[in-house]
Amino acid sequence: MIFDLNFFGMLIGAIMASSVPLILAASGELITERSGVLNLGVEGMMIVGAISGFALMVLTDNLFLAVIGSMLSGLIISSIFGFLTQTLFTNHVASGLALTIFGIGISAMIGKNFVGIPGKDFPLLLVNLRESIPFLGPILFGHSIILYVAFALPFATNYFLKKTKLGLIVRAVGDSPVSASNQGINVALVRYSCILYGGAMCGLAGAYLSLIYTPQWIENMTAGRGWIALALVVFATWSPLKVLAGAIIFGGVTIMQLHLQAIGLRIPVQLLSALPYIMTIIVLVVISRDSRKIKLNTPTSLGQIFYKEK
Amino acid sequence: MNTKLKVSEISKIYPGCIANDKVSLEFESGKIYALLGENGAGKSTLVKILSGVVKPDEGKVFLNNKSIKLNSPLDAKKNNIGMVFQHFNLFETLSVFENLSIDSNKTNEDLRVLVNDILKKYNFKIDLDIPVLNLSAGQKQKVEIIRCLIRNPKVLIMDEPTSVLTEQETDDLFISLKQFSNEGILIIYITHKLKEVLSLCDEVAVMRKGKVVSVSNTIDEKIESLANKMVGESLNTIKKKINNFKDSEEILKISNLNFESDDPYETNLIDLNFSLKKGECLGIAGISGNGQSELFQILSGEIITEDTSIMFRNKEISKLNPRERRDYLMAFSPEDRISQAAVPELKIYENVALNNFKSSNFFEKGLVNEKKIKDHTQKILSNFSVNTDNVELKSQFLSGGNLQKLIIGRELITSPELLVCFNPTWGLDVGAINYIHENLININQQGKSSILISTDNDELLKLSDRVCVIYKGKLSKIMNAENVTPEKLGILMGGGSID
Repeated sequence: MIFDLNFFGMLIGAIMASSVPLILAASGELITERSGVLNLGVEGMMIVGAISGFALMVLTDNLFLAVIGSMLSGLIISSIFGFLTQTLFTNHVASGLALTIFGIGISAMIGKNFVGIPGKDFPLLLVNLRESIPFLGPILFGHSIILYVAFALPFATNYFLKKTKLGLIVRAVGDSPVSASNQGINVALVRYSCILYGGAMCGLAGAYLSLIYTPQWIENMTAGRGWIALALVVFATWSPLKVLAGAIIFGGVTIMQLHLQAIGLRIPVQLLSALPYIMTIIVLVVISRDSRKIKLNTPTSLGQIFYKEK
Repeated sequence: MNTKLKVSEISKIYPGCIANDKVSLEFESGKIYALLGENGAGKSTLVKILSGVVKPDEGKVFLNNKSIKLNSPLDAKKNNIGMVFQHFNLFETLSVFENLSIDSNKTNEDLRVLVNDILKKYNFKIDLDIPVLNLSAGQKQKVEIIRCLIRNPKVLIMDEPTSVLTEQETDDLFISLKQFSNEGILIIYITHKLKEVLSLCDEVAVMRKGKVVSVSNTIDEKIESLANKMVGESLNTIKKKINNFKDSEEILKISNLNFESDDPYETNLIDLNFSLKKGECLGIAGISGNGQSELFQILSGEIITEDTSIMFRNKEISKLNPRERRDYLMAFSPEDRISQAAVPELKIYENVALNNFKSSNFFEKGLVNEKKIKDHTQKILSNFSVNTDNVELKSQFLSGGNLQKLIIGRELITSPELLVCFNPTWGLDVGAINYIHENLININQQGKSSILISTDNDELLKLSDRVCVIYKGKLSKIMNAENVTPEKLGILMGGGSID
């Protein structure tokens, strides 16, 4: 019995780990979108974060530097998007798509020299406590610091948006950049900051993949997680806590269907692989049906270019 | 303390248009000043300059004889210049209190005390913790005013504040403004409504084509004298129409119109029933957001509702789409010229082709018959005196008045039996309004019917044979227009009842 409980604990631990990159990237993108900016470059920023983190780890042998570097690289690449959309007023959708294509390309180019190099063990916290409590032990302990950060992030994001002055300003800009500007708020500055923050979080999400989740570099290793994160933000109707729920469901169904495949269930593999996507969308659509709340959470100006009158 | 505001030789030039041409004006606290002019006269540009939103090319602003720099809205705030914009500068999805706190340096507790004091002092009733999108237009305006009052303004600028208000709300606003003025706040009131100038303001400056053409005391002015200064020519008055179709047949009958929307921005319609005779104009008054646009969309077929019956010329059309309704000779002029009635990026003749009445044969075997459309468009341009004969011009370069003439012309040239129009003269200047009104009167005299949904009571009473009010999705009883006064409409528009 104890063995079974621990198995389920381990399973939940695995689910949590697989949802971390989604939570990080989606929380970052959520802030960006709440300011009215639609950045479709999540996948590109993640993959750049992944390769920079891994490369820095190999070159400096310092995991701390690698993590910080991955966030910086996400931030830098998102600043290109920021410059295009906020200074040159280009279309958000086109610029974001370009960013993703650019990110995938440049990461593959840099990554050539890092293929096949083994990763390093990332320090895990409180590993020895894992066995101390059945079931809860493997859930609560023995994870990397980034996992704990990721699970705290949606709550922090929620608090930031609802309770702080800065969060209020971000929401105001997303609601109506014209009104915000007429109130003396520097719309471009707010939007730039949100874009850069989103970039840094996507970079961190990438680093989690290449340093901790599957510690190695493989070309295209984000495998569409950036797109899932983007979809999560929308289906979670811009609510941080629903993003968390969506990410866990997606991670959960992904792990479960792998187990189902392993058992050798007579369901086509393609159908099983599609299951996480279908389940996540169904659940999020069901929990986000209150159209009033959707209106209140949706950044009205999402994707709109804002010019200041001169 | 006395406040003096002076603008000196302000000029602002946009490509192709001189918005302000050496504008000089002086204001002093204790008085309410009107800034009067048609659309495009340069009023809005001037107030945008005063509120720091736009920078002038030339000229200076003096506050109490000191030259002040207004490079951003923050500068205006620092100099205690408050501004209530025509299009509200509120954040719809944030709560009222969040809207107020966003640019305040006070703690939330202090601010709440201050706001509650203001609410009490001026007898405003607003729930601070609901989202702004749930407020009426009048309440939204009060939120804007409170936002200014929090900062102890020396100058308060109101840009076309009554365009969205009921008569009652307008009266309340005027009482508040007079109270502010007595407390020493200098008030500048921008409008194109002449009556308001005479009833509220002490001095009036008239602007035309970017220039100040006259400054005078309102005591010395009359509506006609101001109108002529504003337009720069004498206007012919339209004759009030006589209805010859009192006993004619019924052309339209709506029964059991109910509409429930999932969208919190929309209004539900509750059991509307009305009918319309040949040659008659039915006016529907109301403050915007009480269900007018939903009603318009149901009439035009953009929204199809269950169980509603729409009988038009003895045929049930409630399930037909807009195109099919047009084939039955209905025509529509929606509220928003730019986004609903026309595509601004398309050329004039292309916008005309969009209508695609069955009778016009613009398309043959799937191909566009460009010549036919252009000839047809040319006819509209000349018949409805649109101020261009270039059918290739992009529609976005037409002024509001000309675009509206084009749209009305596009609808009327096919002689529809029924025209439904929604705020047809919104934001237009006096000349264009006159022209549109003449046309709307004409179609009734030719035996065609019309439904006029409008927020402008004077317009409704001038054009309608019968009139009713829509309030929170319900229609009032339908009255003969002769027996109705603007005051009566105002009471109904605010949800009151009359005998």
